[in-house]
Amino acid sequence: MADVTVPQAAPAPDLSVRIGSATLRAPVIAASGCYNKGDEFGRLTDVGRYGAITLKSITRYPRLGNDMPRLAMTPAGLLNAIGLQGPGLDHFLHHVAPALQDVPTAVIASAAGFSVDEFVTVAAALDGLPNVVAIELDVSCPNVEREGRCFAADAASLAQVVAAVKQRVRLPVIPKLMPNVTDIRPIARAAQDAGADAISLINAVRGLVIDVERAQPVLANAAGGLTGPAIRPIAVHAVWEAAQVVTIPIIGMGGIAEGTDALEFLFAGATAVAIGTANFRRPDVHLRVLEAIEREMFRRGCRRVGELTGLANPGFAGPRPAAGL
Amino acid sequence: MSQSGPYLEPATLVRREFLPPGFWYLTLRAPQIAAAAKSAQFVALDLPGTFMVRLPLGIYTVQDDTFSLLFQEWGERTRRLASLAEGTAVSCIGPLGNSFRLPEERTTRATLVAGGLGVAAMWLLARELHNAGMDATILLGARSANLLVGMRELQIFGFPLDVCTDDGSSGFRGTVIQRLQALAPPGVLYGCGPPGMLRALCAYANDHGITCEVSLEETFGCSLGTCWGCVVPVRRGCPQGTGYPRAESETRSFDVARVCADGTVFRAADLVWQT
Ligand SMILES: Cc1cc2nc3c(=O)[nH]c(=O)nc-3n(C[C@H](O)[C@H](O)[C@H](O)COP(=O)(O)OP(=O)(O)OC[C@H]3O[C@@H](n4cnc5c(N)ncnc54)[C@H](O)[C@@H]3O)c2cc1C
Ligand SMILES: Cc1cc2nc3c(=O)[nH]c(=O)nc-3n(C[C@H](O)[C@H](O)[C@H](O)COP(=O)(O)O)c2cc1C
Ligand code: FES
Repeated sequence: MADVTVPQAAPAPDLSVRIGSATLRAPVIAASGCYNKGDEFGRLTDVGRYGAITLKSITRYPRLGNDMPRLAMTPAGLLNAIGLQGPGLDHFLHHVAPALQDVPTAVIASAAGFSVDEFVTVAAALDGLPNVVAIELDVSCPNVEREGRCFAADAASLAQVVAAVKQRVRLPVIPKLMPNVTDIRPIARAAQDAGADAISLINAVRGLVIDVERAQPVLANAAGGLTGPAIRPIAVHAVWEAAQVVTIPIIGMGGIAEGTDALEFLFAGATAVAIGTANFRRPDVHLRVLEAIEREMFRRGCRRVGELTGLANPGFAGPRPAAGL
Repeated sequence: MSQSGPYLEPATLVRREFLPPGFWYLTLRAPQIAAAAKSAQFVALDLPGTFMVRLPLGIYTVQDDTFSLLFQEWGERTRRLASLAEGTAVSCIGPLGNSFRLPEERTTRATLVAGGLGVAAMWLLARELHNAGMDATILLGARSANLLVGMRELQIFGFPLDVCTDDGSSGFRGTVIQRLQALAPPGVLYGCGPPGMLRALCAYANDHGITCEVSLEETFGCSLGTCWGCVVPVRRGCPQGTGYPRAESETRSFDVARVCADGTVFRAADLVWQT
């Protein structure tokens, strides 16, 4: 960009973004399953700079999770099969939820379930908890009512769960889609048509690692979810395609480890980004990403971060804010 | 009282030493981590390269504003760490994890049981026992004499070092557990080493009603307690467990605990060993 005009006294860049009725102070979110509610990372970095923290997905009933090993490293990736370990809704409401008021930023609560009913029960109970500004739906579980077909891979199933949750929940509802589908576009459209306020893209990519010496899968569960930079191009492509068919905000994630990675997602059409795995290595990764976004806004003379959204995507269908001031 | 951390601190490699046949003894300067380190705690190191997660290694010795690591080249991260030049700074998080609990009675005789590199968890414990004026015996085990490590650093405390080798090339011929069975039962046991050894140690302690704590290892992700990738089965009711209610559909009767954040130290009486 040769002719970027640099304002003399640049006004503070506006990093806030709107996700349905929720306003986040920054377009960078901690991804579900990687952050608890921020206490651990809060001893090492400024968690409050995140626009929101997404909680680990909460299920109706307690789950001990999968047997060990649950983790395997791959080239530029991490394969996990935690198995939705968690306290279950009731225990969560009694023992974890009250402390949410101490989280130094907004909270996105994540609901997971194996039936429409479970999703509705959990999501409705999460609506109204302290600091919770939106409900994400981890729809990558099998739907026991539809022959175990994964909600996120079946437009009808997804639409049903989103519509049912929307009826009972006041906060913005954000289904989180999986990349393991032939075409993400009809799924994303189904989510929007069912009333989703935003979508998250992507959840972990299914993968498997075999220990050649033992001739056995490394993970006790055999298959797992691949995360980290190995999946970034898959994720950026999913955001790119979805951004051409939906007008609701997209939260992009998958392999963000540096500032430029986040810009790829914004340019593809994401309104905000989330970071999971990279926190493990660099607890201050969100600060670097925010810095890179601010630098890019300055370079392009943008006042609002939304002006970066969809810049690289000619088919971007979302609202394009007027460029410049 | 100084704060206990953990800290995100750059650690400068001040000394690297190769210990034949295949161990590394590295000294790093990191004042906050060195000042706060207690027995069985570990650091999580961010190494240059495309690694997704930090490398967890036990804090071996501590002196002034430095701490040391004792490790072998298991795979890529330990290989990378061994290749770093003196003067290099490595991002470190630590000290992490809980610690061994010293006996309440000063007269209790402690036996420290280390298998192989498990000795890395024992130096700080020996120092704590020494500073508390307590008596201890250290059992060190390895497959063969040339694989014994740690004696040089451990002997400064003056505790008897009882060496065991599987092939009898040094000290007692047999495992540390066989050696333990030949001795008078101690007042308290501490262990660190390979899973098979720890399992046998816990069985011995439980059979004899001896208080025993062991430091465990697992495959770690975050090293901080947020990914839930490093759990071990523990008895329901164990204070280190999740305390989740048991779901009706749950067939497993145990609870689980995170090795990185709820451990690494667990009581033998709380661990559930699966077949
Ligand atoms: C809390 C904690 C403290 C630790 N402290 C020490 C320490 O002080 N010294 C030390 O040498 N190691 C220690 N380890 C073990 C070390 O972190 C692992 O060996 C780690 O996986 C090495 O990483 P890598 O990338 O080099 O090898 P990886 O790529 O992770 O592993 C390489 C290969 O070695 C195998 N392997 C890895 N670790 C072990 C093991 N412990 N036993 C048998 N096979 C194994 C793996 O299955 C794999 O096939 C500790 C681990 C934990 C969790
Ligand atoms: C250990 C681990 C646990 C996860 N648990 C959940 C979960 O409970 N619910 C969910 O929606 N996503 C979960 N995820 C997926 C992440 O939220 C995110 O979508 C994915 O990791 C891609 O982002 P990343 O590459 O930045 O990690 C988990 C990821 C990891 C690594
Ligand atoms: S390694 Fe993440 S919880 Fe222990």
